[in-house]
Amino acid sequence: MPPLSTLDKLQRTLQGPGTGYLFTRVFLNEGRILLADRTLWLACGLLFLFLGYSLYVGLSQVRAREAVLQGITLRDAEKADKSITQLRRILAGHETPDPFSNPADPASVASGLGARHAVLPYLALAPLALGQSDMAPNYYRVTNRNKSTFLYDGEMDNPWNLMTGHFDTAFVVIYLLPLLILGVSYNMLSAERERGTLRLLLSHSLGIGTLLLAKTAVRALAVLTTTGATVAAVLLPERGGSLEYLFWLGMIAAYAVFWFAVAAAVNALGKASATNAFALIVVWVTLVILAPVLLNLAVSQAYPAPSRTELATRSRLITIGGLNRFADLLATDYRHVGKPQVLLPKDGKIEVAERRKAHLLIARQVDAELDTLLAAFEKQLLAQQQFIERFSLISPAAVIHEGMSALAGTGSRRYTQFTQQVSTYHMDWKAFFEVRILNGIAMTEPDFARLPKFSWLEQPATALRGQLAGYALQLLVPSLLLGLWARRRLRRYPMV
Amino acid sequence: MNSLCLPLIAKREFIEWRRDGRLLIAGGLSLIVMIAAVLVNVQRQVVAEGKRRAAEVLDYDSWLKQGNRHPHDAAHQGMYVFKPSPPLALFDPGITPFSGASIWLQAHQQSELRFRPAQDATGLQRFGTLSVSWVLQVLGPLIVIIFGFNVFSGEREQGTLRQTLSLGVSTRTLLWGKALALHGVMALILLPVLIATTVAVLYASVSAAALSDTALRLLLLSVGYAAYVSMMVFAVLAVSARMPTARASLLVLLGLWFASVMLAPRIAADVAEYLDPSPSRVEFNSKMASALDAAYKRAWAKELGSEKRWGGDVPLDRWGRALQVDDHAGYTIMDQHFKRLWDTYEKQNRTQEWAGLLAPMLSLRAYSMILAGTSFYDHRLFSHAAERQRRVMQDIVSDDLVKNADAHSHTHGEQAHFTYQADARLWASVPRFSYQTPLAKEALGRSVVGFAVLLTGLALAIGAALWASAHRPE
Repeated sequence: MPPLSTLDKLQRTLQGPGTGYLFTRVFLNEGRILLADRTLWLACGLLFLFLGYSLYVGLSQVRAREAVLQGITLRDAEKADKSITQLRRILAGHETPDPFSNPADPASVASGLGARHAVLPYLALAPLALGQSDMAPNYYRVTNRNKSTFLYDGEMDNPWNLMTGHFDTAFVVIYLLPLLILGVSYNMLSAERERGTLRLLLSHSLGIGTLLLAKTAVRALAVLTTTGATVAAVLLPERGGSLEYLFWLGMIAAYAVFWFAVAAAVNALGKASATNAFALIVVWVTLVILAPVLLNLAVSQAYPAPSRTELATRSRLITIGGLNRFADLLATDYRHVGKPQVLLPKDGKIEVAERRKAHLLIARQVDAELDTLLAAFEKQLLAQQQFIERFSLISPAAVIHEGMSALAGTGSRRYTQFTQQVSTYHMDWKAFFEVRILNGIAMTEPDFARLPKFSWLEQPATALRGQLAGYALQLLVPSLLLGLWARRRLRRYPMV
Repeated sequence: MNSLCLPLIAKREFIEWRRDGRLLIAGGLSLIVMIAAVLVNVQRQVVAEGKRRAAEVLDYDSWLKQGNRHPHDAAHQGMYVFKPSPPLALFDPGITPFSGASIWLQAHQQSELRFRPAQDATGLQRFGTLSVSWVLQVLGPLIVIIFGFNVFSGEREQGTLRQTLSLGVSTRTLLWGKALALHGVMALILLPVLIATTVAVLYASVSAAALSDTALRLLLLSVGYAAYVSMMVFAVLAVSARMPTARASLLVLLGLWFASVMLAPRIAADVAEYLDPSPSRVEFNSKMASALDAAYKRAWAKELGSEKRWGGDVPLDRWGRALQVDDHAGYTIMDQHFKRLWDTYEKQNRTQEWAGLLAPMLSLRAYSMILAGTSFYDHRLFSHAAERQRRVMQDIVSDDLVKNADAHSHTHGEQAHFTYQADARLWASVPRFSYQTPLAKEALGRSVVGFAVLLTGLALAIGAALWASAHRPE
């Protein structure tokens, strides 16, 4: 490397220190000032408190619901064991079964006696965004009855509380995090100008862009560290899911970057601090409060859900059709009460009541017709979801909401997939029993082990990551554009 | 002299708002959003009510024309009944998106309302449903803040406050003048909304009989919202008078708004749930099932001589009677369990209504839902009415089974129980379901707490404004 000429040395001296050095100096000084005047303590302290409470709410809710799911699974297993024990006693001649709870009768096992629950597990990050989990059930009791008997039910809660929503981490992130970001960054340049220190700062070789970037960076670091550390410290030891957590943190960082970019853009306008604060509040109200509601309105107008009122009536009309079609079978003699010996299996066969065969056939017909009706709901809900994924760009709050719900496994898409998989399981369940009920084949002990089991198939991680990447882009692209615009605007920044 | 100043003071504020664009931008946008909310909701209401009426007719007709069958099979497929949407649901849909409006009346068990619209919506539903009530409750205070945050503090910064006071205008006159201005601007925004809502309610086919009732409800709603807006006006005036700068006033007001509109409702819901925990579906169902099981056994042992239900101990020619015994044994247990559940929800709601002393939106929300006929109480009344209808249907079916199916078994052999079929005459004996929404005066009685809390808040806000204007910083 050739030695520097005198001219080069002079030029270096005039240019002053490099941008990286200046950025670091401003970053450190700003950090010291913000800590000294307690702004950061206050903002991060509030964030910590709200996050702490939200994590308490989220974890309590998910713990309670997981306990319910565990109880359900346990009771299903106990019931199956009890049925096997009863079957043994019946086959050994120690017990006479009842017509409607006979473990040897496939019709009894297919309905109430053997009914199993299909369960949707909660994901590691579920406490962070409760989403639709308070309305959409995480379990269905599947029998051979038609799906209108179980698939229309929802979770039980006070409607007022559902309307209000939960104080979960998603709420803190969506509403409060941007407010705190705007609260600490609305006057990054204007305050310097109003105090008269901006000219002093820029009289050195410090560029205004570097100044704004360094001030933004120190605030972003504080806010993101508080958020990330609080959630990691409380959530990860109990729930695990480190990789998902990193994706979550990435989403939060993208959301925070957006709001810092908004603050930077408003700062770059060169207005007074009060004007900046007012403008940022208007932006916050528009993007966080109003835009999601309008987006929800747009999606419900563009893809209205088919009428549930019509579905209810149609379901009943279909059932009436089924009852009429199999009226003869339903009106046959019923020997199962007066002649208890027909309840016992003989040579692997058992007399299944004609009425119960009729119920199976009616359910088969009703389900086939209901599938068409329910498909319309699923199609519309999927269309709504796709609409939101495409247009949530208009509200970063909607984007982060969807992203967090997807990561937590509490979004509409996962619940739709659950009902689809439950429908498939319901078909398997019915198919398993259909051959036995229609041909009068008695249930045996090995049959109980062969009963169809529901196992939830999670959507591939790549699909979820693709979805998240889309959401992150919807946050980062506008941030980048805002940043570039702010940079351009800073060239005309008024120094006094 | 002082009272003559009031219009002048108010006029000065209007000039300021017109000049700085707030009147046009904030006022105009608020008006557009609320009018859009009225239009969207009236369209939805008309469509939904049309479908409900059609479904109601279709469902009952299908019950009448179902053909001959065993009455218990008919009771098993039962019928659906649909909750009519009250006319003012277009103003405040209340809990309806989260409660559903259809109930399946079927044999053996009491059902809950099904098909919550929020279940057919994406997660965005949780951000809120666009309605006039939502805009007024959530954004209403913000609109007042936008117009009023600097009425005192801004003048103080500009130095015009001292000049005005030096002219001999008393502080109190100044306060009333500014209050008049803020009330005026809110009236300017809200009166067209009230007119639009009235027209929409008339368009959404309110029957002549319900017209006076709906008018009374709308009047009471207007009074409640006026009290809320007025409370906000005086609260904003108090803060603006007390704060040294417009910036500080804005930040404090926004902080109060966020705390009372965004944070408080969620915290109040958590507190209410903590004080009166509601059961999960599994817990509720399993407790009720255990109690029903015990009650059924007692009733069977007493009335039929064996506690073993649907077994071989009670012959098939007594199953009509057995169904009757079973049904009646279940009624009390179901009543007890649903009462307990609904009482829990009512207590939670009442806690949140009282929390309105800290966050007035909660009291207004309760008051508004009650008067719009979309509250939990209305939901409960409808559920009761539907269950009464189910029991009427069940009793008619059971009586027929006792009278005819059991007798049929006697004559045709015990096993012939299910060969008995009833015809259209039996189906016609089940009356058509009709539900009468409660009258406004009943709703008025239940809205007293919410209204009292709102008035208390208003009185406190006026007191705070008077105190703050008298003790303003120089």
